[in-house]
Amino acid sequence: MDSLLSILIQAHPLEGWFFGSGKAMVVLAIALILLIGFGLWMWRAESRLKSMEAKLKSKNQQES
Amino acid sequence: MGHNIWKIGGFALIAYVFVMVFTVPMGPGLLELSNTGNATTQVDSDRPLPEYFLTGFGTHWSSQPDQLQVIVRSKTNLSKLEVIEVIDDTHARIGVSLPYSLPSKSWDVLINHPIDGTLLLENGLFLSDRFIDESLTLPAISIVEFEAKLPFHFPYQPRILETIRNLMLHVPMWFTMFVLMGIAFVASIKQLATARNLAEDEKSEAAVKVGLLFGFLGLITGSFWARFTWGAWWVDDPQLNGALVTVLVYSGYMVLRNSLDNAPLRARLSAVYNLFAFIILIILLMVLPRFTESLHPGKGGNPGFNSYDLDSALRAAFYPAVIGWIFIGIWMYRINLRFTRLQKLLTWTHCSQF
Amino acid sequence: MNSGRAHKVTPPSWSRYVHLTRHAFRMEFRKKNGLAGLILFAICAVYTCYQVAGSRADAETWNALAWVVLLFSAFNAVSKPWPEDAPEMRSYLIHVLHPREWILARMTFFAMLLSGITCIVFVAFTLFMGSEDLSTGRALWFFCGMQATSIAMASLLAMIQTLAIRANGGFGLIAVLGLPLIIPVILIATQYGMDVLNGVSFADTAHNLLFLATLSGGFGALGYILFPYLWRD
Repeated sequence: MDSLLSILIQAHPLEGWFFGSGKAMVVLAIALILLIGFGLWMWRAESRLKSMEAKLKSKNQQES
Repeated sequence: MGHNIWKIGGFALIAYVFVMVFTVPMGPGLLELSNTGNATTQVDSDRPLPEYFLTGFGTHWSSQPDQLQVIVRSKTNLSKLEVIEVIDDTHARIGVSLPYSLPSKSWDVLINHPIDGTLLLENGLFLSDRFIDESLTLPAISIVEFEAKLPFHFPYQPRILETIRNLMLHVPMWFTMFVLMGIAFVASIKQLATARNLAEDEKSEAAVKVGLLFGFLGLITGSFWARFTWGAWWVDDPQLNGALVTVLVYSGYMVLRNSLDNAPLRARLSAVYNLFAFIILIILLMVLPRFTESLHPGKGGNPGFNSYDLDSALRAAFYPAVIGWIFIGIWMYRINLRFTRLQKLLTWTHCSQF
Repeated sequence: MNSGRAHKVTPPSWSRYVHLTRHAFRMEFRKKNGLAGLILFAICAVYTCYQVAGSRADAETWNALAWVVLLFSAFNAVSKPWPEDAPEMRSYLIHVLHPREWILARMTFFAMLLSGITCIVFVAFTLFMGSEDLSTGRALWFFCGMQATSIAMASLLAMIQTLAIRANGGFGLIAVLGLPLIIPVILIATQYGMDVLNGVSFADTAHNLLFLATLSGGFGALGYILFPYLWRD
């Protein structure tokens, strides 16, 4: 793996540096955190919408 | 929990795809075979041997250098070239030991090595200073063929190189947009056929909104890819024009919606326009690219990707990416729809109190 | 299909369609300033191109300018609302006309109007911009391509015009809704024009005309099916 990366650095400096220096892992970690954060945000948004729907429904039933 | 499994599944698939995109290494390939202009004198011949410089990408020639075989091919003719010296893993000096009379000027270069297996550089060798006689045949050669012993890797493709990783981020955006615009199309037909209420209109609005988001993401990821592969943020290409125009058409749909206040009329007019928009989407992204030449990868009749370009490693990342993004897109559409409905309901309830 | 709900008038009839088309032309010719304005716009646009690019523009520029002038002339022709589009007129016409004969009449009117304007654009263009790249036979094929394009544009723009008027939008909305939808037509047309100018044999570029015909047919059919939904209240 190390030899492969050193070759990559020679052939394509930018990509080789990106994958060789561990920066790819940092980007991956940030991407994963963003993805999971987005998923949790959506989950929370949906559950809050659901509870608001339920509240509104019960309120309308009480009135009628 | 049971009926929510696809939502978690979508995000899990995309997380898996991200890990694949950033950790799977590239496979080896051949970059070029260039003429150095030098010539070494041969031991058993009076003619000098022209020296070429072979550059590989991610290859492993310095382990077992004596096993490296360089072969040139033109139709059925095969001939072995001489490996003068293996400099390091990716560089070697090659002697073009071909006779003066040859059946062809242009040759494919093939490499065989115990670790890399067989690699191909199409039309890698061009000899302009030889006598060409197409009826010639070269003597048959014996090759010991080695199978590749490589870890799990993405395939090497000329010029695309590392940017092949973008396949998992760019192409699924368009697939997801197709699915969402399809939902909007069906909802619009229903809206026109059964104009009881505005439920279907809300659906098509939410689907187009999320679909447009994916369209913009597709344009952005494509633009970045083009910057690194073609050297420009945007190039004139049928595939790119089609993608941009599709996004513009659906932006027109949003403009039309915003310029109307009367809800039933808005539902009807925007449904009519949406049908036009979807037909144009089909024409631009599925029909026209098949009949025009394009630089876009995966060409040769198929606008998305060429099935021959997808090997097992790419499939293992690409198919989960498509499914994952479609699930996320549908979830986003459902939340958007729920939000719009609740907003309307709240406004209505609020107004009815007065 | 419940599109006949609002109007219990008789099904689409040929005689009414012919009458409506003739009526549209009669109205157009009665107000001569409208037609004169369209012709003036086309000639002025060509003359502007002549001033900008000169009489010896290369084939690419020639081709591009020709289609752009045609496109803008077409949008100019559909920018003017019809007197029949006023709400009170529409609510009367709903009871005496079938919407499908109305859209067919509009499409026919626009197709013929744009055909005429195309002739003027083509003559003015070859006059001012020169036609060194076109032999007589090729000029004829180029003209046919322009006519096919104008019909395709008419079949789409007749519908878009009504849509924009119903949405109370002016020329801006016609452009926003119509331009993206018309781009495929223009892409095929410019491809065809470039092939003709480059001397590609007609058999090798005829599929572009077939595309244009298919697009016209598709737009026309969509308009014919969907127009009743636009028109009724």
